Amino acid sequence: MVPWMVMALIMATTFFSCPDPGSCHSCLEVFPSIEYQCMDQNFSKVPMDIPASTQKLDLSFNPLRSLAPRSFSRITELRILDLSRCDIQKIEDDTYEGLHNLSTLILTGNPIQSLGIRAFYGLPKLQKLVVVETNLMSLEDFPIGHIITLQELHLGHNSISSLQLPSYFASFSSMKHLDLHLNQIKNISDGDLEPVKLNPNLTLDLSENPIQYIHPGAFKGIHLSGLKLRSSFHNSTIMEACIKGMTGLKVGKLVLGNYKNDIQMTSFESSILDGLCEVDIGEFRMVQPSQFPSDGNGVFKCLVNVSVLFLVNTDIDQLTNLPIFPKLFSLSLTDCNFDIMPDLPSISLPSLKELKVTHHKDLTTLSDLALPNLQILDLSKNSLNVLSCCSDKTFNTPNLKYLNLSYNAHISLSKNFMGLENLESLDLQHTILKDHDKYPAFYSLINLRYLDISYTNTHVKFKNIFTGMSNLKHLKMAGSSFQDNILHDIFKNLTKLVSLNISYCQLERVSQETMSPLHQLQVLDLSHNKLQTFDPFICMPLLNLQVLNCSSNSITALNGENLQELSRTLISIDLSDNPFDCVCDHQIFFQWVKEHTHLLNRSKPMTCQTPSHMKDISVQLFDDSTCHMKKTVIAVSLLGIIVILLVLALVYKFYFHLMLLAGCKNIGGGESIYDAFVIYSSQDEDWVRKELVKNLEEGVPSFQLCLHYRDFIPGVAIAANIIQEGFHKSRKVIVVISEHFIQSRWCKFEYEIAQTWQFLSSQAGIIFIILQKVEKSLLRQQMELYRLLNRNTYLEWEDTNLGRHVFWRRLRKALLDGRTKNPKGAAEEEFSQPVSPT
Amino acid sequence: MKIFMAAFFASVLLCPGCSSKWTTHTACKNDKLELLYQSCDPLQDLGFSMDHCNNPISKNLKIRFGVILRHDIQELFLDINLFSMGKSILSYSYPVCEVDFPKFSFCGKKKGEKIYYAGDINNQAFPIGKVS
Repeated sequence: MVPWMVMALIMATTFFSCPDPGSCHSCLEVFPSIEYQCMDQNFSKVPMDIPASTQKLDLSFNPLRSLAPRSFSRITELRILDLSRCDIQKIEDDTYEGLHNLSTLILTGNPIQSLGIRAFYGLPKLQKLVVVETNLMSLEDFPIGHIITLQELHLGHNSISSLQLPSYFASFSSMKHLDLHLNQIKNISDGDLEPVKLNPNLTLDLSENPIQYIHPGAFKGIHLSGLKLRSSFHNSTIMEACIKGMTGLKVGKLVLGNYKNDIQMTSFESSILDGLCEVDIGEFRMVQPSQFPSDGNGVFKCLVNVSVLFLVNTDIDQLTNLPIFPKLFSLSLTDCNFDIMPDLPSISLPSLKELKVTHHKDLTTLSDLALPNLQILDLSKNSLNVLSCCSDKTFNTPNLKYLNLSYNAHISLSKNFMGLENLESLDLQHTILKDHDKYPAFYSLINLRYLDISYTNTHVKFKNIFTGMSNLKHLKMAGSSFQDNILHDIFKNLTKLVSLNISYCQLERVSQETMSPLHQLQVLDLSHNKLQTFDPFICMPLLNLQVLNCSSNSITALNGENLQELSRTLISIDLSDNPFDCVCDHQIFFQWVKEHTHLLNRSKPMTCQTPSHMKDISVQLFDDSTCHMKKTVIAVSLLGIIVILLVLALVYKFYFHLMLLAGCKNIGGGESIYDAFVIYSSQDEDWVRKELVKNLEEGVPSFQLCLHYRDFIPGVAIAANIIQEGFHKSRKVIVVISEHFIQSRWCKFEYEIAQTWQFLSSQAGIIFIILQKVEKSLLRQQMELYRLLNRNTYLEWEDTNLGRHVFWRRLRKALLDGRTKNPKGAAEEEFSQPVSPT
Repeated sequence: MKIFMAAFFASVLLCPGCSSKWTTHTACKNDKLELLYQSCDPLQDLGFSMDHCNNPISKNLKIRFGVILRHDIQELFLDINLFSMGKSILSYSYPVCEVDFPKFSFCGKKKGEKIYYAGDINNQAFPIGKVS
């Protein structure tokens, strides 16, 4: 009861101190709630804050020392548990109880001293158990007999001295891999492998065991999927004897040989493999034998029935006298000492479909190959110099589908693959090619699906370089160069292309028509070029584009207007390592980036290069609100200017209305009834009625004029009317000057009275309006008027739109001036110099 | 020759520009030459020593090498870049472990396993001697 309470208390403490699971434990959260990496964190107990949903937990390199029962029962979803180097010396019963889903348990490097009989109980789904370097002495008392789900058992680097498999191995029907490398197994006796006799899927690794003796018959009736015996025999005598002891074995894949850093046998007699005549082998691999004999018939005579043969790291420099391998369909010769192609007569290899001669640094010359059934030919990683490649004369292999000549020295593609029309894959990467960029070198390859000419010194100046390959699906040409560093329409016929790699090509520009035939393209790699801009419009013909890589270019931003061309089918876009210019001009692009984070490369963020205050900051942090701010500021100021202009215009237009509103409305001229008395010749009455009266009395502000035809009281003498009605009741006098005015006596009379009256009352101003130009001679007759007009401002009638506008404005202003509380001052202002009668 | 050697080991073993939590170890030492090295891997330190320091690039070199792996070895490449007076005078790459092609017994070893090698390192595998 008490332990449960303690447990609950710990749980509660954990819960309260960690409100957000996943944020507070000291382990690295590789995948939230799923995978935690707690390597080397000095834990002496299983950390309590690992969520129960965790599927993969790495607790390696922690000093756990001993594990109590049910240590992991809380983490029920656990699938992979790594307890490497945890100094675990004792595993108690039921330690892993509760791990119902665990499939992999790794206990590498623990000095296990004691194991409870129920140590591995409660693991109903365990498939892989790794107990490498755990001081294991024997399998007999290793308590795993009940784990019948086991598929892989790694027991390497222990001290197991006997291969006698306990009987419980018979129940491991799913067992695929039993690794016993680097143990102390010296003898393999009759019956040792009896429990796995009925398991043909098992691969047994006995490498690096000091095997001295295999009892003849120990493998009799045993059927294995694979058997590895590298560096297992100290000398060739032991090896020969042991191989003879393997009589009766049937094995899918047999690996013999040494490791480069391990036992090196002193001699390798032809007869050493003689015992294999009694072994049924599917695939034979010989790795790193010393002094391998080149007499083929001697060494291979018991291997003629294999179907796959690997010779790796052997020191043979030629193969002679090859026996007939009727079933051999795959032959690999890797890292041997060949300096010319070994002679491989078709009579010896009638079924050969796959030939790999690779990793020969001295192999420079190609000799004729005549293997009619060959489909796969891999000659990569040699130092081949081929002067005229390739046609059916180079390779007399009419059924060849796959040809790999990559990582060689020089190949001149002067023959256009005549006779090799069945080729589906051609890999030429990292081999310096010649002549292929002058004519359609691949013209015959109508069935080619895959072509790699990356890093082959290709300089594309010939537009039809790819003509003929109408079925090509994958093209890699990284590290090529183009004329003027511009990519032109060289893909005209490649309408079926699915992936295209043009990285590391120093490209500065991609011309518009380049992509137009590539409707099927799904993957486009343009990374590591020198593109300064990339217009997504180029991608418009790419109706199926899913992956686009434009990383490591010199792109400052993508054209914002055409971005929607990209988003249609894309599932991934990489734009990292570009010097982005994080300014408001590109804010549409950065907005697009923010909205499409799920498409971007997560491991490498896109960062700004300019402006300097944004350097190395993620473009995702680009704040476009500052752009909005700037826009707002501009908009507001524009609006303000417009409003001010409008107000000014309105003020101008409604100036007089405003004057009225401002308080001048009720201020009349004291006893004055009229605003102005108009003196004019009756000849000008028409103008006065139609223009003057209409504009001043009906406009705003409305002035009251005194007009003789209307306002003079009948029955009163004209002179009296002029004085009583005209001057006495008016603030101002408007004098309409015209020729008629000069000639009119009444006018003259009125004008003189006006002058006198003005002088007497010092009250009203006289406003002169020149209605029509008056000849000077005529004007001189009225000396007084003439002088006055010379000295004073007057209004001149002009019968144009602008003229009228100015005229009425000025007149209104002049009339209004008198309507102040102090009409005197106003009069003074209107006529800055009071007229003095002379 | 001495300048060449000093440059070689300064660049290969001192690992310029790498800030590491691991201490600098001595690979060998005599009165004329001291070879130092430091691991650049954030997780992995390694032990390495040579039996004598007289001619570290002689044809047969007795070395001792020990490591407890903090990573799986799926692939392992040896890259040597040698600079003298700011110019590259040697660029060498050797595939130690390839996935389908494990030449050495430590290829394919997993995290937590121990590798210990004491013995000759011959110039076939690491043709460093050819440089001079």
